[in-house]
Amino acid sequence: MNWQNVATIARKDMTIMLSRRALRIALVALPLGLAVLFSTIIARASIPADLLPRTLNSFLFFFMIYTGALPASIASYSMVGEKVERSLEPLLATPASDGEILLGKGVAALLPPLVAMWAGMVTLMVYCDAVTHSALGYLYFPNWTAVLTVFCAAPLLALMAVGFSVLCSARVSEVRTAQQLGALAAIPGAAIYISLITGAFTLDLASIAVICGILAVLDTALALGARATFNREEILTRWA
Amino acid sequence: MITIDSLTRRFGDVTAVDSLTLTIGEGEVFGLLGPNGAGKTTTIRMLAGLIGKTAGDAWVAGCRVGDPATARQLRSLVGLMPEEAGLYPDLSAARTLDFYGRLYQVSAADRAERTERLLTMLDLWDRRDVRVRTFSKGMKQRLTIARALINDPPVLFLDEPTANLDPEGAKVVRDFLLRLRQEKRTILLNTHQLAEAERVCDRVGIMQTRLIAVGTPDALRSASGDGATGDGATGDGATGDGAAGAASARATAVQLAVVTDAVVAAARNAVRADPAATPRADVTVAGNTITVPVDKPESDNPGLIRAIVAAGGEIQFVTGIVPTLEETYLKLLSSVNGAGDPAAR
Repeated sequence: MNWQNVATIARKDMTIMLSRRALRIALVALPLGLAVLFSTIIARASIPADLLPRTLNSFLFFFMIYTGALPASIASYSMVGEKVERSLEPLLATPASDGEILLGKGVAALLPPLVAMWAGMVTLMVYCDAVTHSALGYLYFPNWTAVLTVFCAAPLLALMAVGFSVLCSARVSEVRTAQQLGALAAIPGAAIYISLITGAFTLDLASIAVICGILAVLDTALALGARATFNREEILTRWA
Repeated sequence: MITIDSLTRRFGDVTAVDSLTLTIGEGEVFGLLGPNGAGKTTTIRMLAGLIGKTAGDAWVAGCRVGDPATARQLRSLVGLMPEEAGLYPDLSAARTLDFYGRLYQVSAADRAERTERLLTMLDLWDRRDVRVRTFSKGMKQRLTIARALINDPPVLFLDEPTANLDPEGAKVVRDFLLRLRQEKRTILLNTHQLAEAERVCDRVGIMQTRLIAVGTPDALRSASGDGATGDGATGDGATGDGAAGAASARATAVQLAVVTDAVVAAARNAVRADPAATPRADVTVAGNTITVPVDKPESDNPGLIRAIVAAGGEIQFVTGIVPTLEETYLKLLSSVNGAGDPAAR
């Protein structure tokens, strides 16, 4: 694996991606906006202290929906965009291997939304600590569940979204269709969130570890599928 | 530099390239001509290591095509200009070349030097920081040529480089191809533009899933009437059978002060002197010019001229008429496909 090629491809994709205003807004404004919105709700809603931990967890976990949706959308654009622009052939003609191209694109789709999410989550945690400290008598964040959610579950979910998008991209030839299909990657995050707020399960260390385990298995399967789908022969003879 | 031995590619039941055998020497510009679906792009994709082969073998710049051990090396030695420009609209010309240069492991200094040199030569230097989105089709095409050269490859594969360009844009690209030819790069050029092939290529091959004929443009034209390959290179797999039986299109046009029946009869008898000769169209007369079909102008013309003079003909001009490459191309394809005009298929 030539990591310089991976970095070159990732940097190129990120440059193109960040040249789009809509995406810049989605990456910066939305996570920070959500963080401020949730903190404001916590500050003004007079939530009883015994319900606060669950509410804070659910708000933090809400970001997981976004963590699934945004990388999927970017990855879809990254793959199908190349297909639409017919730029895959010259890219595949370079010495970069299929794996390096796929990984570079994956990193480009994964990293910006993940960093944006982390920024949003950390902002949420800092604000929430500030407004709940007096009610709880202690700083709720950081805790192991939050750390595991932010730094383990969120990347794994984002990775799953990228793998899913690569598989979708092989079958569609329009960016919009790919993005719509890619948005389905938000479903697992949404399902977990709904289960959480309906009380179907409690977000504790054990449950988040189980979620991470399931996501890791799914990620591995999707990565293998994406790797099998993303090869020169397949792209040039079937991705039409 | 490029050796192809019985290279075959099938997609399911469809054979895209059928037992292609060809050798392209170092510094040679070879044109691959053929109608759509003839397998030209598939050939280039196989040789550039983009898709696999079904059978046969090929070597490009010493690398065996399809060998995973040398796949990366093969791609680093090859420059590819695909039919579609495939540029990133949101990158500038300079960023585009920098991106590909990095992937080809070109050093920063070489990237900068080549970017400036190529963009200057292709008249894009002033637009180097402008997004490709704003480029005209001709500018994009020129940028794709620069992209194919950023790794300074000894072998270039160009797939329809002037397709869809206006005459001016096509000329710029063609002139650049002539420049590349002077640099002694080995170039395989897929094209529909027969005039372009004639002007740029050392040799051309006519292909329709298999190689029908191969030779220099002159040799192919000459051979189109007698069923041989242009350079007799049957070892390249082109049998030249496709040309067999096709009537010769070569002729000698003789302009006279006055055309008389005696002169026409003398001309007719002169070219019928060889009873073993292939039957030809008869002598035709248009104004003061008689056109006489000939097999071998070099040996037939002296006798023809003598006969006309002996019959009292006063010769003003003698012109050799040879078929164009286009006529040769159409004739060869037509004879492979059976009767009819291949262009109409």
